[in-house]
This record gives sequence, C-alpha cells and structure tokens, in this order.
Amino acid sequence: MSAGRAGTPAIPLPAVAASPAVKRGRHTLTALLFLVPALVVFGVFSWWPIVRGLLISFQETNLVDAATWVGLDNFRALFADPLLGTAVANTLLFVGLALLIGFPAPLVLAVVLSTVRRGAGVYRFLVYLPVVVPPVVAILLWKWFYDPGHGLFNGLLALVGLGPYPWLDSPDTAMLSLVLQSTWAGMGGAVLIYLAAIVGVPSELYEAAQMDGASIWTRVWHITLPQLRPVIGLLLLMQLISTMQVFTEPYVFTGGGPENATLTVLLLIFRYAFQDGAYGQAAALSFLLAIVLGLLSAVYLRATRSWSAS
Amino acid sequence: MKLTAGLLGCAVLTTALAGCGSPSSGEPGTVVIRVQGMPPATDKPGLEQFKKMVAEFERRNPGIKVQGSTTVFDPLTFSAKLAGGKVEEVIKVPLTEPQGLIARKQVRPLTKELSGWAHYKEFNPQVLRPLSDAAGEVYGVPQAPFAQGLVYNRDLFTKAGLDPDKPPATWDEVRAAAKAISARTGKAGFVHESKNNQGGWQLTMLAYTHGGEIEREEGGRYVAAFNADPVKKALGLLKEMRWTDDSMGDSQLNDQNDVIKRFAAGEIGMYMGTPGTYRLAKMTYGMEDTDAFGVGPLPQAGGNATLTGGDVYLVPKSVTAEKAAAAVKWLLFAYAEPQYDPAVAASRAKELAADPESAVGVPTLPMFDATQQAKIDEAVKPYVNVKLEHFRPWLEGTPSLTLRPEPAVQAQQVYAVLDTVVQAVLTDEDASVDALLAKAETDVNAKLAAARQ
Repeated sequence: MSAGRAGTPAIPLPAVAASPAVKRGRHTLTALLFLVPALVVFGVFSWWPIVRGLLISFQETNLVDAATWVGLDNFRALFADPLLGTAVANTLLFVGLALLIGFPAPLVLAVVLSTVRRGAGVYRFLVYLPVVVPPVVAILLWKWFYDPGHGLFNGLLALVGLGPYPWLDSPDTAMLSLVLQSTWAGMGGAVLIYLAAIVGVPSELYEAAQMDGASIWTRVWHITLPQLRPVIGLLLLMQLISTMQVFTEPYVFTGGGPENATLTVLLLIFRYAFQDGAYGQAAALSFLLAIVLGLLSAVYLRATRSWSAS
Repeated sequence: MKLTAGLLGCAVLTTALAGCGSPSSGEPGTVVIRVQGMPPATDKPGLEQFKKMVAEFERRNPGIKVQGSTTVFDPLTFSAKLAGGKVEEVIKVPLTEPQGLIARKQVRPLTKELSGWAHYKEFNPQVLRPLSDAAGEVYGVPQAPFAQGLVYNRDLFTKAGLDPDKPPATWDEVRAAAKAISARTGKAGFVHESKNNQGGWQLTMLAYTHGGEIEREEGGRYVAAFNADPVKKALGLLKEMRWTDDSMGDSQLNDQNDVIKRFAAGEIGMYMGTPGTYRLAKMTYGMEDTDAFGVGPLPQAGGNATLTGGDVYLVPKSVTAEKAAAAVKWLLFAYAEPQYDPAVAASRAKELAADPESAVGVPTLPMFDATQQAKIDEAVKPYVNVKLEHFRPWLEGTPSLTLRPEPAVQAQQVYAVLDTVVQAVLTDEDASVDALLAKAETDVNAKLAAARQ
C-alpha cells in the first residue's frame, strides 16, 4: 500500500496493484497455479499417452529397442487386413442393435417408473442394481443364462415349448445376445437420468392437459417426450460414443467368435497389441477410432450448445 | 494467501510425483533380481518352499539378492511394463508365448550363460526346442515340460461301460467313447477348445496326430500347410462328433479354463490336455473327486505325434548382462537342479507333500534323459500324493510319440485364424471344411508374408 509523503495529507492514490486489470492478472496467476497440478497430471497421464500412441502408429517397435519410423506402413497393413472390415461391420451392428434395443428401453422404463407411487424407491433400486455389479461378474452370470444346455433362458423358454437356442454359439444370435446383456447392465444409469429429468417437467403442463382430457399416452407423447428432448439427445450421443468402444462383452463372452461374428474394433486393437505384438498397427487403428469418436464428440458438443441456447 | 496455497499444492504434488516408483536397490555391489514364479500366499507350502529356496540361493551366491514376484505373465500388462522398464528380470510364460517373444526380440538369448552349467549339454533337446530360435540360440529354462495327452473322467468312463484303465488310443476309439458317454450319462463326451486362440492351438495338436502340419518351410519362407487331407480329416472328425453323434455337449465357445472348470465339475468326459491340468482342476477349480482324473497319450490317426507344452522362464531383453547372468544362476538352481539332482528333488517333494492340498508327483517330460528321470522319480516316490497309476497310460504311451513344437512363425496369429475354422465346424452344421480351410490358408499366408517384411 503506498502512503502519502510525511506532512502531506494522505491522499488515497489508486494503487497500481489494485487496478482491475492487475487484479485480474493476479487472479489469473493464482488460478493458473492452482490449475498446474491438474494440468501436469492431465498432461502426463492423458495427453502424453495420446501423443505417444500417435507416434507409435507411424513406428515399428518392440518396446525394447529404439523404434523404427515406418511412415504409413501400419495403416497399409491395417487396411490390408480383411478382419478390419469385419470388425467395423460388427461394431456398427452392435451400435445399431444397442440403439434399437438399448436406447428406448431406459426411457420407457423411466416413464413407467415415474408413474409408480408406492414402492418407487424399491423399483429404482432394482433397476439400478445391475450397474453396481462388476462387468465381468455380470457377464459370467449371463453366460450361465445363455448356456445352450442348462441355461436359464433355454430352461424358461422350454416351459412354453420354445428353443433351445444356441445364443452365443451361433453367428446369427451372438451379437444380439451381447447387446441384451449390455442393455441390462447399463440401463440403470440412463433410467436415473431420465427420472431426474421427468421430475423437472413443470407439473402445470400435465394439469392443464389433464383438464383438457388428455390420456396418459397423449401426455407422454406431447409433454414428457418434448420436455426430455435435450436429455434424450445427450444420452443418444453418449451411447453412440460408448457402444463404439465395446470390448468387455465380446472379450469375456465369446472371444470375438463364433467365426468372428462378435469381433469388434476394440477387440481387434487388443489382438494386434497383446496377441500379435503389432503395437504400431494397434496404435494406428486406435488413432482412426479416436478420429471417428472425435467427430462424434464434436457433433455432441455442437448439439449441446445449440440445445442449451434454445 | 491464494498464491501460497497454490504454491503449496504444487509443492505437494511435485513431492508426491518425485517420490513415486523409486525402485529398491540392494547394498552396493549387490545384484538384485526380481523373479516371477513365487507362489501366492494362498499356496502356503509352495510359498514356504520358495522362501527357503531364496534363502539357500542367496547363501550360496553372495552378491545376488532375489526378490520373488507373485505376478504372472499377463499379455495385457507385459507390454506396458516392458515399455516402462518395470518388467521383472525373470518372467514365467506358458509355452505358447516364447516363439512370439523371441521373434519380436523382447527376450534375451541365454545360451552363453546357460552353457556355464556342467550339465547344460544333457538337457533334453526336445524340451529346449520350443525355447530356441532357428539359429539354435536358447532363450530360457523350462519348468515341468509335458506333452499333450487325452485327459478323461474315469467315473464317466465306468458309467458309460468303458474301461477306465484303457483310454482310447485312436481317434475312432475317442469318437466311440464320446458317443457312449454322451448317450449314457448325458454329459459332453469330448470337448474341443475353440476361442482365444486355443481353438487353433488344439487344432494344431489334432493335426499332428493325423500326420498333418500347420506351417511348412519353402525356400527359407514359411507358408500355410494345413489345407490338406490330414487337417480335413481332423475337422471332419469334429464335425461328425458334433453334428452326427451329438457327443460334444451344448456349449461350444470354450477356452482351456472353461473346459477344465467343467471337467472338474464332472461335466466332461474327455479333452485334449496335459497331466499338469490335474493341478488346475484340483487346486484352482476344486475338483473333489480327483480319483476320477485320468490321462492317456494323445490318440492317433496316422501321425504318431503330439505337441509339447509347459511353463518357461525367460529373461527380458532389457535386462543387463550382469543381471541376466544372476537370473540364469537362479533358474538353474530353482528349476534345473531339482530335475537333475535326486537329493534336491526329494527334499522339495517332501516339503510340498506336507500339505494335503498340494499335488506332488504329477508326471512331466524328462528335462534331461530317461535314466536321470528314473533317478528323480525313485527319489520322489515316497512323497507322491497323486494316484500315479491314473497317469500311467500317459507315461507309458507318450515316449513312443514324436514331440512336436508349436508352429515356428506367427503361431498366435495362425491360431487366431484357425479359431474361426474350429468355431465354424462346431457351431454351423452346414460348414464346409474345404471352403473354410481354403480361406484360412489365404489369410494365414497373408499374415506369414506380412511377417517376412
């Protein structure tokens, strides 16, 4: 703090350090210093591996000796692999089936649950329970459900004279079986988000509609769904991004079989890196997948911006 | 104040980061080696024995300290540990791995260090072959090497009216036995693995027994060799058992763990496996009626051959020469000497047999010659706690078979392609063996050609 000269009345001078610009600068500096740990951690553990992965995609390496720069060779090898097309097609099939089955299911369930008055907490708990079961445990449980001989599903279907179905053992049904399990496992989170959003819908809209004699279905169609539109959009994009990275289900359930019917892009990356030791090829495919997911994320960010603006 | 807090935050983080991962080093002049293969705490007798071994080794080799590691070779983490310089100086891998690790130059040749041992030349060349490269350099030391055989459930054999002391010697007999087991007990008569590259691996052993091969060397280059009669016959056999006889059970997407787990639960009559799977069935999957475990030589259909297997200890290439020399000393002390010196073998068996949960005396292939193995067997005899007579068919039948290693080049990639073939035959009644093999041949040749570049 600057002080007036002795003998002269102390006039409060606008101290340089106290000017709004300097204040802002100080604040920025302090904020930056607080950010440093997070930036360092983020840089070391998130960005450096990404950069390193990108570099490896142009190299041949055994991770011991110095890597050799091979240009686009890894990408060429990738595109020459007939399994790439299979993996992409299978991944898209998984994404498509998950959209068809897994996407509407939590919405329907949330709408139904929102109308339940008695024991709502119990139902919500039951719906959310699969989310807390570790994925591998859940898959092993479902493996027993799907067992063609002594499994739960074929046992139940036999009671009504259906089956037995080969579930995971047939290329025609294996992917569908994976989608059913992952829908069951992941639905709880989406249901909770939808339920929270439904609570936020102004009740006067329903009251007005009820006075006009609107049926439950009309209310859902004309009030609930339009009000949930931003949340539905968000969850749709999040699901697209996560289902394109499906790995655990095909890895634990089927190992990519039968006949590569459940070989997904991430499982192929895994095979390149950890079975074949083709780290460059694995990095190249990861890089391509990251580009696709980046594009999806860009769409997501754009969409959320326009939604929040509206 | 905020500035101070920010700086403090940075200081704390920097200190925390700097404190991470400083490896412990021994006293000056001491070579410290970290070795995989230490039994987990749940295996008390094994762990006790390991600790005694370490103490004895360090007493005999002043200047070397051994740190045991219970981590097992995990392809998921191995690459990351290798890249980060964190991999142990001695790694233990299944016999499916060495050829890939050797080809990628991730492990260290050890011939020079090994040849310092007086009995090095007496190693059974067949057990060293899968750990060697084309030039004859040896990269590791095996532990309990074995040859594939036919594991069978003696109880199910009896229930199906079969003689449990005479396991099938030919694939025709296997087919008949599987049919009988399936029809009379409702269990899977015979199960063939089919996923996680193990379908290709088991097809390889099936091919060997039919006189087939997987790869062939042509003018210094390897090409696919399975698109031929022996493998067609082998796949035709599987197809008949699966679709005509319905003797392979309902669930077809299995790897080795799935199969042994189901076998331990009494759900499977036969599978291709080694005597060593007894340990897995008993100690990992809690097989209660271990008396039902029987193993014979791998049945044949004109090939008179079987595939070798086992665990192997290797030294990563990143390890220094000094540590590699210490690692080899450890390997010879811990795994070669007990297979050569009857007194050491007896003392180790005695320690293990103290625990009823252990499996002492599970037969292996001789690490050295038959005479040496006979001396070891005699020394260990008083402590054996497995029913050795149930392993006798394997012991008596295997020596007459040729031991064949895994395919020499890109074995895992080839297995991945052949997995698809096996899965198709087991899951699709209309699968065409000819078309599947023709396509697999093209795919494998593309992979082998890519490996040459």
